[in-house]
Amino acid sequence: MAKGKLKFFSIFLVLLLTLAACSSGAKDEGGDKDQQGGDDDSTVVDPTTFPKTVKNDDAEIEGGTLNYGLVSSSPFEGTLDWQFYQGAPDAEILSFFSEPIFGYDEYYRMSNEVESAAKFELLDDGKKIKVMIQDGVYWHDGKPLKAEDYAYSFEIIGHPDYTGVRYGDAIIQSIVGMKEYHAGEVDSISGIEIIDDKTLTIEFEKANPSLLTGLWPYAAPKHHYGDVPIKDLATSDKIHIDVIGFGPFKVNNIVPGESVEFVAFENYYGGKPKLDSIILKVVDPSKVKKELENGSIDIAEFPTDQYDPAYEPTNFQFLATMDNAYTYIGFKLGRWDAENKVAVQDKDTPLQDVALRQAIGYAMDNETVGKEYYNGLRIPASTLMIPFFKDYHNPDIEGYNYDPEKAKQILADAGYKDTNGDGFVETPDGEELKLTFLSMSGGDTAEPLAKFYIQNWKDVGINVELFEGRLHEFNSFYDLVGRKGNDDPNVDLYQGAWGTGTDPDPYGLYSKTALFNFPRYVNEENEKLLEEGNSEKALDPEYRKEVYDKWQQLMIDNPPVIPTLYRYALTAVNNRVKNYTLENGTDWGLEDISLTSDTPFKN
Amino acid sequence: MLKFIVRRLLIMIPQLLLLSIIIFLLAKAMPGDALTGQMVANPNLDPETMEELREKLGLNDPWHEQYIRWIGNLLQGDFGISYVHNVKISDLLGNRMANTFLLGLLTLIFAYLIAIPLGIIAGRYPDSWMDKLIVGYNFVSYAIPLFVFALLMLFLFGYTLNWFPTGGSVDVQVERGTWDWYLSKLHHLILPSISAALLSTVGTIQYLRSEIIDTKLKDFVKTAKAKGTPERKVYTRHIFRNSLLPVAAFLGYDIVFILGGSIFIEQIFNYPGLGQLFVSSISQRDFSVVNILVMLFGFLSILGTLLSDIILSIVDPRIRID
Repeated sequence: MAKGKLKFFSIFLVLLLTLAACSSGAKDEGGDKDQQGGDDDSTVVDPTTFPKTVKNDDAEIEGGTLNYGLVSSSPFEGTLDWQFYQGAPDAEILSFFSEPIFGYDEYYRMSNEVESAAKFELLDDGKKIKVMIQDGVYWHDGKPLKAEDYAYSFEIIGHPDYTGVRYGDAIIQSIVGMKEYHAGEVDSISGIEIIDDKTLTIEFEKANPSLLTGLWPYAAPKHHYGDVPIKDLATSDKIHIDVIGFGPFKVNNIVPGESVEFVAFENYYGGKPKLDSIILKVVDPSKVKKELENGSIDIAEFPTDQYDPAYEPTNFQFLATMDNAYTYIGFKLGRWDAENKVAVQDKDTPLQDVALRQAIGYAMDNETVGKEYYNGLRIPASTLMIPFFKDYHNPDIEGYNYDPEKAKQILADAGYKDTNGDGFVETPDGEELKLTFLSMSGGDTAEPLAKFYIQNWKDVGINVELFEGRLHEFNSFYDLVGRKGNDDPNVDLYQGAWGTGTDPDPYGLYSKTALFNFPRYVNEENEKLLEEGNSEKALDPEYRKEVYDKWQQLMIDNPPVIPTLYRYALTAVNNRVKNYTLENGTDWGLEDISLTSDTPFKN
Repeated sequence: MLKFIVRRLLIMIPQLLLLSIIIFLLAKAMPGDALTGQMVANPNLDPETMEELREKLGLNDPWHEQYIRWIGNLLQGDFGISYVHNVKISDLLGNRMANTFLLGLLTLIFAYLIAIPLGIIAGRYPDSWMDKLIVGYNFVSYAIPLFVFALLMLFLFGYTLNWFPTGGSVDVQVERGTWDWYLSKLHHLILPSISAALLSTVGTIQYLRSEIIDTKLKDFVKTAKAKGTPERKVYTRHIFRNSLLPVAAFLGYDIVFILGGSIFIEQIFNYPGLGQLFVSSISQRDFSVVNILVMLFGFLSILGTLLSDIILSIVDPRIRID
């Protein structure tokens, strides 16, 4: 089935950052040989050469029960509906019984080639999409999936009483008539037309090149939700306990916050699942390894901070994929003009000098950071278009790889010299150069990591101090960088991270009109490229690639931020599991997973 | 006695009101809100929509308006809605409280079952090898952090011996309400509650031990012995009851302990309870839940002291309150 592992609203950054903790990295230095190839390849090749698909050649058994570990240090919230859920654990549970109606290829683009509940057709040069629900797709209560179910999903999200976070999506907002519907002026969305039971069309205000990667793909069971007013839907039992989907497994029982029992859905359109049932339970990160060795869970995401390159499990295997996220160092260059809703790059800071920013970039030893602090599971980042977007990431751009000599050279050429003999350079005007660095707390490595970068900068003669001499907690961190537009003017550098979702368009993070453009970076060339990448002309992937190539290069030449690390996530799978893959764009799904032994392998 | 209880209950009202204002202001002073976490996690969420949601949720109103709205609803029994969990807080609390209560109660029972006999033995035979053993256990249990000990117990009895389940409060495959379901619940409860109980006996054992040693030297004990009362009777009738006073004084506070939940135990055993809920609500800025929980804990503490006073007056007739 549509292996659309669309992790739209993926990860809580908090989680990502706590995964950062590392205890063994530094100690393993001796035994752990450099497993990365050259610098250049390492950004696109998995550093540890983990497979993406489980290897198991044994004969499969009939049925069986798979135990799945949901790795989380707190109970799951249990909002089991795509329109309303918030936390990543809930999304993980949802993906077992409720799936996107479209299929996705390896570029995370909607595709009719992949087995899926609905096919689509673009009309009017991409301004309109026709969605055709396939026959034989049933909800778990036996009712067929209808066009109105897909339409209802948009009606929920756009509704004035809706309090979830999904309306913030540019494509959803660009549906014709959506704004009027959202304002409560009309009762229906004029751009969504239901042609018959199985067919509908959606019209957009303008063609969007991100449509196929970003269109909301989930349907809501209207016959099931229908009699609950949308205002009360969020707290209704129908999205917490009595939940249905049309995925390969259906929910049989939920113990709030701790476990879920799924059983095979006989009428699944992709064929009856091979497993009889799946038991999902929450497992604390501190116990995952033990549970896996013990065989009490078959599949679980493995906490990267517990990964030890020297550790070779006997009863399970590691798979890995790249996360759609990146870490970066940002430069605060301006302020947010709240009245005109636009960034203004007018801060009086030596960072306005591109040479200084470049020197800061070349001074950072990200390879060592990835290896020592993240056990090799993070690799130096090259561009802001992450390799996750295979067709847009430009592997030829080297980015800021570690080169302290080059950094010193750039500083010297630009006139930065140590005139007072304190070991740090002064600005070309002869003023003392002193920058502050804001970094987030979380995990054991956060502080040593920040100090490591500060030492890196010190090595090339740039004086950087931690902002207020300490790390800052998640929420205050984002207050300081300006989540509401009131940036703290005393911050010069900060370390942040973004989840990218599946849409490559960086407009919402780097345009001058974007509040989340925390550097408050303003550059006409940048605006032009971002507009072009999102224009109708960019419907042509070749052209879009060209634009994004130029943009990636511009972000290196005149950087608002320096990307530092790309991340890998590990999944551990017991050796009795067959046909499990993290690969995208295949017809493999949960219904194809089988077991080759009644009892799990133990260590 | 009744007058005393009523008076204490009445004082509770201004106390709780003050608490509610303080906690509300402190919560508002924390940076961020329930939507901040979504900003990074959800790349499709634009700032305008976030602002619109804040407006809809009333997060942009001045604090006193929000406070009055909140306290008004609270007085009418409406606890509000958890934004993060998307459920009514009363439902959420009901669920978690039942778990926490069971765990706390069993922990308390185990703790007293272990502590009282040990305290009596140690007090009755001070400086014997048994006493040394018990005091040794006391030092060790006082020194070991709960999260280390609970993991050790889990490793030993959960993973190595496979006697107990390693997480959760009940087996998801067992049908709710059946006999097996209750058994499964008990089975899941034993390991976490014993782990917690073994480390929470220090106070009780120490108090009991020193009280017994003290009481043994009191005049009325000497009198009883001089009258020829059998040694066993002296201990059960005369010494034990008097030595229980300080222990009984703490019983009221244990009510708070039962419902307060233990973050470490709940996290290590993946046991969804109030302690976990409190911590995760703070870090996710789910203010409505945080406020209600603080009010609940505040209420329980005040109730706990009251109960302690009442219990004390029952155990020790010399204490008369009115």
